[in-house]
Amino acid sequence: MSCCFSNSGIPYVDMRAPLRRLWRQNMVGSEHIEMIPSPKKKVWSAEVNGTPVEVLVPSNAVLLDVLRDKVGTLGVKRGCDLGTCGCCTVMVDGNPRLSCLCLAGQVEGSIITTVEGLADGAHLAPIQSCFAEHGGSQCGFCTPGFLISAQALLNENDSPTDKEIACAIEGNLCRCTGYQQIIDSIKGAAAIHRGEVEAAAPASDPHPDPHPEGPEEPNMPPGHAR
Amino acid sequence: MSGGYRQQPGGSGQTTRKDGKRVAGKQSFPPPGSGGSRPHMKPRDLDFIPESVGGKEEQPAGSHIHDRARTGTTVGKEIPLVDSNAKVTGQAWYGDDVRLPNEIIGKILRSPHHYARIKSIDTSRVEALPGVLAVATGEDSPHRFGVLPVTKDEHAMAVEKVRHVGDLVACVAAVDEATALEALNLFEIEWEVLEPVFDPKKGLEDADEPIHWRGKYHLSKTNVQKRVFQEFGDRSLVDKPHAESHGKWSMAGVHHGFTEPHAVVAHWGPNGRLQLYTPQQVPHYTHRALSTVLDVPMHQINVIRTFVGGGFGGKSDPFPHEMCAAILARKAGRPVRITFDREEVYWINRGRHPSHIEVKMTADEEARISGFDIDALIDGGGFASFGHVTSYYNGVLATAPYELGSFHYTGARVWTNKPASGAMRGHGAVNTRCAVEVGLDEMAETMQVDPIDLRLANLLPPHSRTISGFRITSNGMREALEKVREGSNWDEKFRQMPLGKGIGIGCGFFISGSGLPIHWDPNRFPHATVHIQVDMDGGVTVHTGAADIGQGSTTAVAQVVSEVLALPIEMIHVRSHESDTSPVDLGSYSSRVTFMNANAAIRAALEIREQLLNAAWDILGYHPDNLVLNDRRIYYKHDPAIGVSYLKALHKAQEDKGSLIASGAYRSPPMGGVHKGAAAGLAPAYSFSAYVAEVDVDVETGMIRCTDVWAAHDCGKALNPMAVKGQIIGSCHMGLGQVLSEKMVYGRTGHLQNANLLDYKIPSVHEMPHVEPIIIESCDPEGPFGAKEAGEGPLLPILPAVVNAVYDAIGIRLRDLPLTPDVVFKGIEKTLKNSDVDDPLDLPSPRLTHSSLQPTLVARAQEHKLRDKARQRTEDTSPYVNGVLFGFDPTIPLEDQVEGWRTATEPDPEQLAELGLAGRAWLKKEQREMGGEN
Repeated sequence: MSCCFSNSGIPYVDMRAPLRRLWRQNMVGSEHIEMIPSPKKKVWSAEVNGTPVEVLVPSNAVLLDVLRDKVGTLGVKRGCDLGTCGCCTVMVDGNPRLSCLCLAGQVEGSIITTVEGLADGAHLAPIQSCFAEHGGSQCGFCTPGFLISAQALLNENDSPTDKEIACAIEGNLCRCTGYQQIIDSIKGAAAIHRGEVEAAAPASDPHPDPHPEGPEEPNMPPGHAR
Repeated sequence: MSGGYRQQPGGSGQTTRKDGKRVAGKQSFPPPGSGGSRPHMKPRDLDFIPESVGGKEEQPAGSHIHDRARTGTTVGKEIPLVDSNAKVTGQAWYGDDVRLPNEIIGKILRSPHHYARIKSIDTSRVEALPGVLAVATGEDSPHRFGVLPVTKDEHAMAVEKVRHVGDLVACVAAVDEATALEALNLFEIEWEVLEPVFDPKKGLEDADEPIHWRGKYHLSKTNVQKRVFQEFGDRSLVDKPHAESHGKWSMAGVHHGFTEPHAVVAHWGPNGRLQLYTPQQVPHYTHRALSTVLDVPMHQINVIRTFVGGGFGGKSDPFPHEMCAAILARKAGRPVRITFDREEVYWINRGRHPSHIEVKMTADEEARISGFDIDALIDGGGFASFGHVTSYYNGVLATAPYELGSFHYTGARVWTNKPASGAMRGHGAVNTRCAVEVGLDEMAETMQVDPIDLRLANLLPPHSRTISGFRITSNGMREALEKVREGSNWDEKFRQMPLGKGIGIGCGFFISGSGLPIHWDPNRFPHATVHIQVDMDGGVTVHTGAADIGQGSTTAVAQVVSEVLALPIEMIHVRSHESDTSPVDLGSYSSRVTFMNANAAIRAALEIREQLLNAAWDILGYHPDNLVLNDRRIYYKHDPAIGVSYLKALHKAQEDKGSLIASGAYRSPPMGGVHKGAAAGLAPAYSFSAYVAEVDVDVETGMIRCTDVWAAHDCGKALNPMAVKGQIIGSCHMGLGQVLSEKMVYGRTGHLQNANLLDYKIPSVHEMPHVEPIIIESCDPEGPFGAKEAGEGPLLPILPAVVNAVYDAIGIRLRDLPLTPDVVFKGIEKTLKNSDVDDPLDLPSPRLTHSSLQPTLVARAQEHKLRDKARQRTEDTSPYVNGVLFGFDPTIPLEDQVEGWRTATEPDPEQLAELGLAGRAWLKKEQREMGGEN
């Protein structure tokens, strides 16, 4: 990109651009110093939601950035970049982990599950349908993180106590629900995991018509040949 | 089958054919009321149909105008939010999830100075950086904007001056984030640093260079943005008080703490129209502001509201970064995405105002509240935002739910060199409500009566007017108080628990939709409009501008349409994201959406319903009055077998005109007084709430833990009880944060020190008490199916309930919020020093012995209970104005019957000397009176 805008709006060609790209410059205070060359790019591979991915990323890339910008799992949310809100939680080899505090290189080759990987096709996981059913999700921004933390808990323990649930989600902040309905949702999902409760048919399942018509009722617009 | 068909129930012979299908007229019928011939049709859910129209739902608060539109389909049922599946699968698209092809990244250069003049900006080195595609500064955004038309004081980027650290100076768009960040270092700016103001008290004084200049309306040379004076009632009543309470409060600023940082994507399409994707609560204001700032007509802008990751008032202003993105995208000719990091979220702020509040209140010998005297100095930060309104709300929203002898309020909002304060859940009402409720507790203590009985004996009834002229319709305050008293076992706990354990009460009162749309006259243009379209397939598309920020407004709109048309909610599709397709709407603020949008949606749906019923009339030959809508079928009331399917009726109705289209609007009724500021706090309905909180206080460390909350909220009618409970519990969470841990810390140098979620302490799951949400249904006469708001009001009572519970636990009144351990500990140390107790474990717990007033109050409360019930059910329709408790005649204007009764919006000259802290703003003169700028 050697074509830039000047103040007058007329583009001009910057002859030194290729050189600068090699030696990026930066300011420290009022000193204009030469920066270390930008990090080398390397191929990063992992299994994300059951699919092997290979992407080219800078060697110092943060897992959150890689997942959002390169892999395209935008369900992983960026809330604070500091590990304080838990919105970016993903499962790495079965353990919940804050992707904003994790270098991509650290988890090279591992199995990563994001919120997109919880459902089995269109069939929602129990934890997902329970969050919808019990009001565990209001604005929904923290929900992906909560779902991952909760699923990781349920994978280990299908009859968690209130205390255990609270400890599992203590790293996740929710500003809408006050946590109570989230805990209800997790308890509901645990009951399904234990097989005590039948999972409700989720509305996300492809279904022809929730209220089938009788033979004499039209279910198509006029003019449609049956 | 014109003229309808009749099928005989039961009968002999085969009812199914060999291929399994039914034989017409031969099937067995489900019980009457279920709709007849369709075996898969859901039976009519009589539990959710009011008794006044033949169902089983009890109506303790009386019947409602929308009863005849009830079909028992969704209203009153706990159903998941319609967009919840998008959220649990990660498919909900928030601001930063909008990725357009060819996008570039924008970054904002922010001010390092609290207050400085920009002498020059040199951008030549920025532009020379390879990869930089556009640079913009204040020169590119000369037009001012602001959320309120009366206070447009913001620019997209600073013009002339920066007003707080973090104020926008310039912005740059580059091919990637790293380049954009690098470019920010290359701006060369010459500053002239000015003397900043941080203390709001200092803002009341004249300054060399006020932060903004309002020309002839500027108050002397102060930093006062708005001053308010309101006085109602008979001030002579407060002269000889039987009991009084006086408290000076200092409340820290708090932030909404939503989890999604602001983000925006701007794209100028190939036809030169702007598409702006932004998580906004009020897309319409952004739409207007963009038009002003960019000099582009509104119809050339399409504002697309993405999913909003929490708003709570913090995403309701039109924001400068939205303008920046549009300006950069116009310059670069490519889509620009700007995403904030968490620190920037705090710089843009708009959180609750840091406040200094002083409340004096008095009661007479019959324990009637003879006067409220409130003084609120609020710290507005660098810009006006919603501050004009906040200045009023701090006073006027304290005029109910109690009957007052007099009311006196002085308020001032000052500019300081801090990030701007604005609207936050419970806008303006939260801090004064806390001070007032704690004051009542203190008065009850002096009079030796139970604070709940004191409240019960002083409530305004339903269908009454407050002292400032607000029209109260439904009122569930009494029931709320009774329910929490019972639920919490109050009578066995209050003033009877050991040291360190306490229980406290607090009440709340909040608007359900601001009665005045700030951009237009409510008598000429509606608050909310909803369009409904039903095409051949039978699906119902609803277009509304209601901005769902997680509270479930889309669900509420879908629910009422589903209810009126008796269609399963899966058939209702709400389209609310784009300003191109949605009618103008004021968005999600002032708790208006359920009340106003659902009302508009009901109107539109009723129109569609009428067309369907008329078509069924044509087919069946029965008048619509005798037809019943049930799940996808319309049938004759007295014989369910005679009916027509929904689609048949629909296609009949469409014969001449194609798809059915209806538009419904909501306009608030004319209300309120005529005095200056009378419109502030006016609402078509008000919500009421009462909470009891139980706390544990560690007297040795000052640590407070709230263990249980009983939260009763009068939301009129819970359209979706699950969502209402979620709002109540969520409000408790946010209010608890404000009262126990959340605080925006400005250091000695005025610097915001905790602009991250690690140091800004939002309660985690471990800090949450168990909340018992109790829904009170007072059935508002004008609400949609009786509903009122449930989003903001439930926040108010938790603060005073906790503060009062802390007093019950340790006998110390604390008035510095938040009650962090250091504040509590200092309070305990001070008490120890002033008493002869050495060990905090020996502190005396407060105890209560009822005085002779108690039975009087109980008797009065009992009498009022009967009065309220009759008024609620409109068996008693006599007028009631604030003052009847004091023996006045509600049919004669109070001014005519009480000597000294006044309604004043400016202080008398002799009052000037005795005004409180904020009242001092009235000592200053406006420039025009000083012969200044014209």
